Amino acid sequence: MTGRQSLHTVRGVTGHREFVLRTVEERGVRFIRLWFIDVLGLLKSFSIPVSELETALEDGVGLDGSSLEGASRLREYDCIAHPDPRTFQVLPWKPDSLVARMFCDVCQPDGEPFGGDSRAMLRRVLEQAAGLGYTMQVGCEVEFFLFGALGANGASPVTLDDGAYFDLTPLDVGSDFRRRTIEYLERIGIPVKASHHEVAPSQHEIQLAHTDALSMADSVTTFRIAVKEAAHELGAYATFMPKPLAAYPGSGMHLHISLFQGERNVFHDADPGEPLSPTGRAFLAGVLAHAGELTAVTNQWINSYRRLATGFEAPEFVSWTRRGAAALVRVPSRRPGRVEGARFELRSPDPACNPYLVLALVLAAGLRGIERGYELQAESIDDEAAGAPRLPLDLREATDLFDASELARETLGDRLCDVFVANKRRELADERRTVTEFDRSRYLRLL
Amino acid sequence: MSDAWIYGERNSEETSRLLAELGFSPHRVAANGTLRPPDADSRAPALALVLAAGLEQPSCAELCARLAADEELGEVPVLVALGPGALAEGVGVSEGHELLVEPFTAEELQARIARARRAVHGIDHDDIVRVGDLEMNLATYQVAIDRRPVDFTYMEYELLKFLVTHPQRVFSREALLSRVWGYDYYGGARTVDVHVRRVRAKLGSEHAARIKTVRSVGYRWEGT
Repeated sequence: MTGRQSLHTVRGVTGHREFVLRTVEERGVRFIRLWFIDVLGLLKSFSIPVSELETALEDGVGLDGSSLEGASRLREYDCIAHPDPRTFQVLPWKPDSLVARMFCDVCQPDGEPFGGDSRAMLRRVLEQAAGLGYTMQVGCEVEFFLFGALGANGASPVTLDDGAYFDLTPLDVGSDFRRRTIEYLERIGIPVKASHHEVAPSQHEIQLAHTDALSMADSVTTFRIAVKEAAHELGAYATFMPKPLAAYPGSGMHLHISLFQGERNVFHDADPGEPLSPTGRAFLAGVLAHAGELTAVTNQWINSYRRLATGFEAPEFVSWTRRGAAALVRVPSRRPGRVEGARFELRSPDPACNPYLVLALVLAAGLRGIERGYELQAESIDDEAAGAPRLPLDLREATDLFDASELARETLGDRLCDVFVANKRRELADERRTVTEFDRSRYLRLL
Repeated sequence: MSDAWIYGERNSEETSRLLAELGFSPHRVAANGTLRPPDADSRAPALALVLAAGLEQPSCAELCARLAADEELGEVPVLVALGPGALAEGVGVSEGHELLVEPFTAEELQARIARARRAVHGIDHDDIVRVGDLEMNLATYQVAIDRRPVDFTYMEYELLKFLVTHPQRVFSREALLSRVWGYDYYGGARTVDVHVRRVRAKLGSEHAARIKTVRSVGYRWEGT
């Protein structure tokens, strides 16, 4: 089943199209932004006027597919972007001239999904899982920094407050900002579970309520732009950079993963002494077994590894625990009777990841664990990860593991993997040529 | 365009034409005891019209009882059109949600349909459902609270519409999934919870509280 066909499984296309066309007319929407996702998860967009909307819904819009390939694009590919009317949403910001958005499925001219479209890849994995009767539910805690101003050309940014974990800082711009952001998110259909001030000054966390994986990836994408918009309106700047301040913890994006068959959470075990059911243990074993290969997508920037290097709740070893703070995976203790709450929390991803690729690979790794009956390693107690393998130390090691990963290639296809790897190799080559603050502070006087 | 299903043979062509004039998409149901027309693309129509004159097997009363008992068609507004003179005989007078006597005009049909839909779904004659300061315009897909538009996605809108037009009844997640989404959907039954949460978030606290979670059963809309 391709992405285009699966649209027909939900109340037919006609209803969606009529809804979109009518809403545009009734609400006086002026422009439609067509959103698509590049291989690094960066949101790309182009606008069409309302007069072009009907044609766009019917036939799609021509697009150069290489725009999905990040910095490694070599030549142009003719592609067609098909707006997905299920994702039509009037944007809550810019109230003066109404703008709506739709995510696009990017296809080749023959109608097959374009191999560089990470959203299509996630959808393909979800359909495979659905074929086995499974749907993955994902909750998400996103951390980020809100700065007053960005320092010129690489200088340290200006923090807005000296707040700390769960501090209520009534006089800061931060609480105003969180309120505005949450209002935007709710108006755009991203329910927020909670928000609070994080450990570092100027750092915030917003928890997104669980939903299916595709909606969560779309939500994270939308979330990042909503947060940046809200910050911009207050004269501040929000960043999802994993580690902006050397002295403080970086920003993570913890994922809460559970797996359902119909209404039944298959991670739940009736025995309260068991953290997860046998299916859940095998799924988690799959994720842990492939954690090294996954790291290039969960932590896809050179800067991501500066967060992982410093502890501060950022994992360094492939381990799981019920209580500790340092393991890669935490299995939260359950409240009695809360069957639907059985889940595990993956703590390595950072908010600058491509959520489509991360969720596609986490699900694929977990399903492989179930399929092949992987055994879950022993729990790490008191953050002792004795004998546990370590996560890749840097982007180079992670990229090598990803490049050689049969799981990644089978799940995402060679084309997407190759393009991803080419982007990362280029980033590494750029860094290798860069003289940094570190070089100067350490060597300038000494040598 | 909303479906209208027609039961009974007498004058069914003329009735189809009138319904089409009123903006419905008419489908005739074969007189072989089935409840569903062969060519309909939805699981429940906006309206069922029973042409009672000449109906024998099943009788008008049987047909209306079967419609009411059907899981998907139970809340479809049913209009019964009696043949001339049937009122005196009293047959079929108490069936359905609204009554018509042949011959009738398009205007009369329209008024009777509006009354039936209002009786069943609380939909006003202008296709608007009003609950407090919440207004749902079913013709234009627009929702407003205190006259300020609220922007829903299509599935959020469809879910809210279903709940609002079936007040006070509890629906399981499976029932909502099959009746709002219509088919197997790979989001699974949790999709319903997720959409309910989104709809509540957009409705704001006052109206959000009208969607009651009925523990280990499903959801109910409290319309009053």
